[in-house]
Amino acid sequence: MAVDLGTGLIALASGAAIGISAIAAAIAEKEIGVAAVGAMAEKEELFGKGLVLTVIPETIVIFGLVVAILILNLAKGG
Amino acid sequence: MLSPHEMSSVIITGPKSVQEDIIKELHALGVLHIVEHSKNELADIGTPLEGASKLSEMLVKIRALIAALGIKKEKIQLELKKDMMDIDSSIRKINDELNGCLEELKKAESQISRNEPLRQELEHLKDISIPLEHLASYKSLACFTGYVKNQNDVAEIKVQLSIITKNFLLLTSAAKKRSFIILFVDTKTRENAELILKKNNFSPVILANLQGLKGTAAQNLKKTEDEIKRLESSKESTIKKIQKLSEQHKDFLLASEALLSVHLEKAEAPLKFAATQSSFLVKGWIPTEELHKSIDKLNKIGKGNIYIQFGSARKKDKVPVKLKNSKIAKPFEFFMDLYSMPNYKEIDPTFFVFLTFPIFFGIMLGDIGYGIVSLAFFWLLKRKMPNAKNFFNILMVASFVTILFGFFFGEFFGFEIYHPAVSREHEMFKLMYIVLGIGAVHVNIGLVVGFINVYKAHGLMMAIYEKAGWIVMELGVAMLALSYFKLISISPFIGAVFLGAAILMIFKGEGVKGIMELPGIFTNILSYVRLMAIGLSSVILAVIINESATEFFHHGGFFVFIGVLILIIGHLINIMLGLLGSFLHSLRLHYVEFFSKFFTGGSKKYQPFGLKEE
Repeated sequence: MAVDLGTGLIALASGAAIGISAIAAAIAEKEIGVAAVGAMAEKEELFGKGLVLTVIPETIVIFGLVVAILILNLAKGG
Repeated sequence: MLSPHEMSSVIITGPKSVQEDIIKELHALGVLHIVEHSKNELADIGTPLEGASKLSEMLVKIRALIAALGIKKEKIQLELKKDMMDIDSSIRKINDELNGCLEELKKAESQISRNEPLRQELEHLKDISIPLEHLASYKSLACFTGYVKNQNDVAEIKVQLSIITKNFLLLTSAAKKRSFIILFVDTKTRENAELILKKNNFSPVILANLQGLKGTAAQNLKKTEDEIKRLESSKESTIKKIQKLSEQHKDFLLASEALLSVHLEKAEAPLKFAATQSSFLVKGWIPTEELHKSIDKLNKIGKGNIYIQFGSARKKDKVPVKLKNSKIAKPFEFFMDLYSMPNYKEIDPTFFVFLTFPIFFGIMLGDIGYGIVSLAFFWLLKRKMPNAKNFFNILMVASFVTILFGFFFGEFFGFEIYHPAVSREHEMFKLMYIVLGIGAVHVNIGLVVGFINVYKAHGLMMAIYEKAGWIVMELGVAMLALSYFKLISISPFIGAVFLGAAILMIFKGEGVKGIMELPGIFTNILSYVRLMAIGLSSVILAVIINESATEFFHHGGFFVFIGVLILIIGHLINIMLGLLGSFLHSLRLHYVEFFSKFFTGGSKKYQPFGLKEE
């Protein structure tokens, strides 16, 4: 399947949008997750709160996903 | 349904003469959540009942025995017909027997470890037939023991030694690959001999445990090995003895552990009471529906000597919370345990979680086949682990909803079996708009619940500022957006007015913090896109698995087998990933996006005295 350069660039851009935002979220969640596990080792009831705090940066990936979808849409429309 | 059980505060006071009877009755009733008294100038905490220290001493011993005998905890139906003295003496007896066994075990082990180095030394010497007493130290002879690499080295050593001296004796034995040698030389040539040995790859072995042994190494080796064998077998028989001991006394130990725990709980109850020299006072909470029945019973026991005061909860009381939900929503209280109990006056969100958790889970997993597999899997797990019943009930409900959404999406293990209402694989955008709509509804339900909470706690105006402000803002932004895209024909000015009013309300309600969080509500709604995204990734994986398997099926023969393997393993992995993702993300949408709109929480869970937690 031959793809012209523009389509390829669009695919790359949407890939980068989600990939880089996923890396960012992963770094943020790493820091929080470490602290949350540490707190849980002291006090097990903190699981619920730890989970909530750990997943907060996940929204970043959702933004990445939305941007990626918008870029793909651009490809369809253009 | 939406609020917890009503609680009444209770204060019981009476003379110490009836304290023990009252404790027994309270324990039997199992309704009073005791509020611990802390020492103040009016009253100290109570002292434990008589025999409490003896009880805890016995309990420590029993638990130590259970641990030492490796007994696993299980429920047993054994009625103990003995009194405390009998239990105590039986425990002593078991303890003595166990200690005897452990002593024997330790002795055998230490003897084995003492014999082991000797055996190794004798192993080196076993092919050399000089009596061991000849290896003692001499004044005029130096003795070397050790290994060289091979027979060539031995020959070489012999040649070189004979050049420097005639007075030497070289004994050799061929062990596996290398040769063991013993060399006696005159002390005068000791240093030269050492040099020669070093040149010929000699690595010395120090024999330190041979003193006092007579006869050849082979004879001694046999003796030592027999000794070790004897010790090993005695060690094994001791271990068997301990196992037998554990089998024999398992039921007794577990039953007496349970019995004594209950006794100790009663005996130590006064530590939570307030006490003066001759009276006691206990504060706590009883569910209102149990109140009068319990008070009647206590009064009967107290025989007119006690006084019980009760009343409903006041605004500032820290009331323990006992959630009240219908049987079907009850398992979902697990999520509240995991997070935090709602406050007494707050709306209990369990019912909302019961409604939406399985739906979110279902949208994300959404496959008839996956739903059936996970339903069966959790049903099996529930039978294996009845302790985690609630958890598996939640997952079974969620799996059932997954099957329903599977029909909606028309998916069976990733295959689209008919043209569905919405195809997750091909109609990504349609589904995205649907889940965004679900998100908007869910977040707004949260805001409405928050409105009711604030209204109950701080009045109508606060509720309007704090919670309705957000709804007005959503309306304003929606109007602005729709009029921008020319979808409705109103002036953007109206939308802007709504937005401005909303910002003022939020500022009044929540201050600067609220203004900073203004965009938060839209990221919250956007967050529901994950319902589509996680589902999509699960479908795409399933489709890839199916496609690569069909590729193999086309080749025929042996490849069919590989295809089947890919299908089974691939879908199993995908189901596992899907279950984990769907569970955590559905939970997250509730904890973060939904609860943040209304939930404060932080109450203590209602834990009545005398009732074992399930």
